[in-house]
Order: sequence, then structure tokens, then C-alpha cells
Amino acid sequence: MTQGKFDPRLSRRNFVESALSLSALTAAAATLPAALPGMSQQAWAAGAPVKGYGVTTAQLKDWSIMTKSNGVTMDYTPTNADIGVFMRDVMSNDLGDTHDFFIFDGGTEDVLGPEGYYAPIVEDHPELTLWARTPDTWKRSDLIRADDTQWGVPVIGNGDAFGYFPEVIGANPNGQDEIPWTTFFEGEQVKGRVAIDRSWLQSMSETANFLKHHGRAEIEDPADLTQEEARAVADYLVERKQAGHFRTIFTAFEEQVQLLSNKEIDMINCWEPATRDANLALGPGTVVYAFTVEGYYKWGHGAYVATAAMDRDNVDNIYKVLNYFLGGEYRAYQAKERGYAGPNMDLGVEYAIEHGWPQEDVDLLRYTAEKVERKFEKPFWGKTTPSNADVMEEEWQRFLNA
Amino acid sequence: MLDRLTPSGVAVPAFLITWSLVVILPLLVIVLFSFLQVKSYRVVYVPTLGTWESVIDSGRWIVAVRTLRIAITMTLIELLLAFPFALWLAKGCKSKPAKAIIITLLTIPFFLDTSSRIIVWRSILGTNGIVNTVLTSMGIVDEPISWLLYSEFAVHFGMLGSYFPTMVFPIFMIMSLIDDDYIQASSDLGASPGQTLLYVILPMSLPGVVAGVVFTLVPLMAAFVEPQMLGGGFVNLLGNSVNSALQELKYPTAAALSTIVVALLGVCLAALILITRKRFDMSTMFQAIRR
Repeated sequence: MTQGKFDPRLSRRNFVESALSLSALTAAAATLPAALPGMSQQAWAAGAPVKGYGVTTAQLKDWSIMTKSNGVTMDYTPTNADIGVFMRDVMSNDLGDTHDFFIFDGGTEDVLGPEGYYAPIVEDHPELTLWARTPDTWKRSDLIRADDTQWGVPVIGNGDAFGYFPEVIGANPNGQDEIPWTTFFEGEQVKGRVAIDRSWLQSMSETANFLKHHGRAEIEDPADLTQEEARAVADYLVERKQAGHFRTIFTAFEEQVQLLSNKEIDMINCWEPATRDANLALGPGTVVYAFTVEGYYKWGHGAYVATAAMDRDNVDNIYKVLNYFLGGEYRAYQAKERGYAGPNMDLGVEYAIEHGWPQEDVDLLRYTAEKVERKFEKPFWGKTTPSNADVMEEEWQRFLNA
Repeated sequence: MLDRLTPSGVAVPAFLITWSLVVILPLLVIVLFSFLQVKSYRVVYVPTLGTWESVIDSGRWIVAVRTLRIAITMTLIELLLAFPFALWLAKGCKSKPAKAIIITLLTIPFFLDTSSRIIVWRSILGTNGIVNTVLTSMGIVDEPISWLLYSEFAVHFGMLGSYFPTMVFPIFMIMSLIDDDYIQASSDLGASPGQTLLYVILPMSLPGVVAGVVFTLVPLMAAFVEPQMLGGGFVNLLGNSVNSALQELKYPTAAALSTIVVALLGVCLAALILITRKRFDMSTMFQAIRR
């Protein structure tokens, strides 16, 4: 017997909370007009802040920029990219009761959409003005859709690879060379000085794609490995581990930056912003984020509206925020501060030019757009909630414990 | 007056019932949970051995063995270091201010976040860290020593400071209670310092030693900060494995691993009681030493 689907609106906690607060809400509603003379219900709703919960990398370093732009105040709670913590918070802690939208790796909608935690996106909502001009490559991505339903709005995305020191492997320091994953897994120049991510979602998928590309293992989908495929991938990783190829298995973003900044390692399958942060300490261009031969680990953050939020008064504001994620200002700041691309990069370039950003920033935005286009030409894979997650995690443990 | 503090007929059963509800019952629930499974981030409430099978297949049982080995090794190392230190602190150090400062310094690990303390060692033990820089610049080694960091050595080294106080304090406290007259009498009767240590101090401080072993071994079985930060992913212990399972919402796996930890601890404590029973009755562990 498995647990059936359950409606979060009828959860035990919601029921108790509703019962306790019903009278208080009624009383508050009755007295509100008297307490705030001259304020209409619409005006009250227009000023309501929007509460978000999601990954750190999706947030603006200063949300007041958005408030100046669209008048909406953001109350954003950042979390890390830990899928288990996120799923627990949304499913077990009823986060939809307190937050209006979530930003997380695309793929969570496969579970949380049909289960009723996410509300389908209202594509013709009047505040979602940029939806129609957003390319299908982004908005129809399988990372934000499930069961032919649009559960999310694309926020940012990238193809993850690895960072490296060009002089160690004899690569062109301009960073435009395509570096094979073979160097990462088997390169003699970097042997014993490679750091691999403890996240099995990323590391197992990248290894699987490498093995598939070179015909060394029969793999259907590198992002969703069957028992046999996962075992083959883990066997290979165990062999590389025992050969002394890896220096460390890292866990956190800060660790990525530290490993690069200290030059403790020569190669690392890190996030792109880690190379940017490391270069702040080491000097521009010291560490390069790779263009690869075999392809990239695809990820994209989607913004998902909590089902419970659709019954609240600030739905217009929520959609203003969703629209903001598709706009030029958010795009420009995300690319400048983190190097991440997203939908409607052209609007980001326009925004930077119109607002008199320095030419180097405009060039950076253009490069970010070109970079993502170049990556799109290669195989791209990635799943946050693969159907074989259980066996993949178990095989990954075998690698960790070897 | 002490006799009037004898537990009443109600206090003991009340304690046992409360303790069972607070500690034993959750443990039983944990054991039962290990016979369930998780599918798509949901617990499937059907009894199965699947979780235990996967614990074996994935090599998590190796982690249990490794954890036990490292925990026992570290406990022995801490005991060898802590016993003479505690003896000096209790009987050798005559300066009260010095004693107060040392005791205060020993409490530092209790109020500093473990991660903050441990992460510092990375910049000291790394290939470009202080130790390697000094060694290479002085020509002692030709190239940096890589095993200083991300190795079992590094994990053991990082644990030294974390678990030293838990071993020192119980031994120091019990040694402080030993009347100096006993030691003097032993000497007056012609015993050498070694004989006094072996036949007077050691037996009388055994309750502190046992308490120190328990307070050190138990948390070592669940250690995960040092292995994660200094082991570089190569020294995976049960704490890391439990943490990893919880991150994936695999509660039954975490429950199975926790069951292993509790079982191993039970075995260790049983062994400790068997080993020490000829010299020491566990029930007297916290009784005051009287003349």
C-alpha cells in the first residue's frame, strides 16, 4: 500500500490553523476598514509583499531594485540546493501556507505539481506580460512542465561543467577551448588533484554522459540511470577513486571557491559562480569554466506558485514578480552578478544599454547569451527528481564508501 | 541524612516509565521505521527488508565498521593523552589561577561551532597550507605532503581537540576527589610512584575513566563534521551516511543506520562492563569516594 495523493489544503496542520484563526481573521476583516480609513481593499492588496522561498542563487543581491521597478516588496527566504530539504519543507511543513512562491531546480514539479502543492501557471494572467515573447526553449522546457501542464516560469539556467586552470592542462587561457570530460576523469595532468561534487544528481549524470559519449557504457538517459546503468557508473567512479584520481569530494559552494582559491585542486565540477568568486582572489581569467566536448549537466530554476497562495489577495503581485523574472532588469543583474543566463537575454542587454551600464558589462551580458547558445549545441541533460533516484543514491553511496 | 535520600517506591518506577517514553520508545520506532522504504520522496508503509538489503548492497555496512574502528582508536588515543593530563591537572598543578585558566580553555570546544573550528585546519594542512609551505621552504620535503589533508590522518587529527575535553573532565573530576592522604600513605608505605599510580590512583579513578570513555566513544560514533571537512569524502562515517540519507528524505535508511549505531554502542558498552567488572562495579560509578 502506498500513500495516496493528498490535498495540502486539507492537511491536518492547515485544518487546525484554519480553525484557530478563523474567528481572528473574521474580526480583523471587520475592523480593517475602520482601522485604515481611506484605504480600499484593492490598494491594501497592491501593497502586500510577496514571500518567496528558494535557492540562494536565484535571489537578487538587493531586492529593492525590483521594488523600484514594479512596486512589489519581496520577502525572500534563501535555502540551499538540497532537494530533500526543499521537498520536506514544501510537503511536510506546509510552506505554501506562509510563502507565495518557490524557486528551485526544475524537476520538482514532477512530484509537487500533480500532488497539488504547485498551482498551474496562468499563462494569460494580465500581469504576465512577457510570457508571450519568451522563447519556447525556455518556457516549454521539461524542467518546468509535467503532465502537459505548465507548473513553473523559467528564472535562470545554465549548463554545468567544470572549472580548471588553463596552464595546468595546456589549454588556451582565453577559455574558448573545448575541454573533454576525459581530462576531468582520466587526465594525467590533473591526477590526484580533481575535486568531484558530492551531489550524485550532478556527478553521476556527468559521469554517465561521459561514458555514454565514448561508448564505454550503454546508457539511455544520463540523468535517470537504471539499476544496471547506475552500477556501471559507480563501478567506473570507484575505479577512478581507487586510482587516486580525486583529491576530494566537496559539498558546498563555499568549499568550491576555497578549493579553487587555495589552488588545492586543478579541476572541479563546480558551479560557474565559484570560478568567478575564485578569480576575484586569484585575478581575472586564472580559473576558467569549461566549454566541453561531451556536453553539460542541464539545470534550470523555475518559479512555482504555491497552491494556497492563489486564494490570497496578492496574486497580482505574485505574477508581477514572475513577470519580473522574465524581464531585462533581472536578467541583467543575474548575468552580471552570477554569470547565469535565462529567458529573454536580449532584454537584459537592452536594459544595460538603456541604463548606461559600462560597455564591459554590456559585453559580458552579450557573452553570457552567446555562451549559453554555444552550450545548447551540445548534449544537455539533467533531472532533479529522476524516477530512479533511489537506486542512483544507493550506488553513489557505494562510490562514497569505497 | 544521606539515607533519607534513598529513592522511594514511586520515584524509580516513575523514572523508568518517563525514560522509556522519552528514550526507549523513540528508539523502538526508529527500529520499526527501518523496515519501511521510500519511493519518490514518500515513505511506503509496507514492511520490507529492502532498506536493510540496500544498506548492505551499497556498502553502508562498511561505513559502520570504519566508524567503529575510528571511534575506538580515537577513544584510546584520547584516553592515553587525557589520563596523564588529568592527573597533572588534579594533583600536580598547584596554582589555582592556572588550573582555572586551563579548565576554561578546555571548555572552548563546547561553545564554539564545530564547523568553524575544524574548517581552519584546511588552510593549515592543505597542500598550499602553512605546514606544507614551511616544510617545503625549509627543504624538509621536496613537494607538499598531500595526506595531511583529506585523509584518515586529518580526520583523527581534527577529532583530537573536539573529544579531548569529554575524556579529560570526568577523569579530572574523579581524581580531584581522591584524598591526597591515600597517595601520601602509599608513598609512606614504600610504594614507588609507579606502584602508587597502578594500585592506588588508577583503581580509584576508574569510574572517571569509564565515564570518559562513554562520553567520548558515544559522540564519536555519530561524528560527521570532522570526516566531512577533513576527510574530503574519503572517510565516510555513519554520521555522514545518516546525514546523506536524511537529505534525500530516506528516513528508513537513516533509521537502519541509527539502529546500527545504537547496536554497536550497546556491544561496546557491554564489552566495557565485562572488561572492567573484576575491578569495578559500574553501579558505583557516580558514588562519592569516601575515606
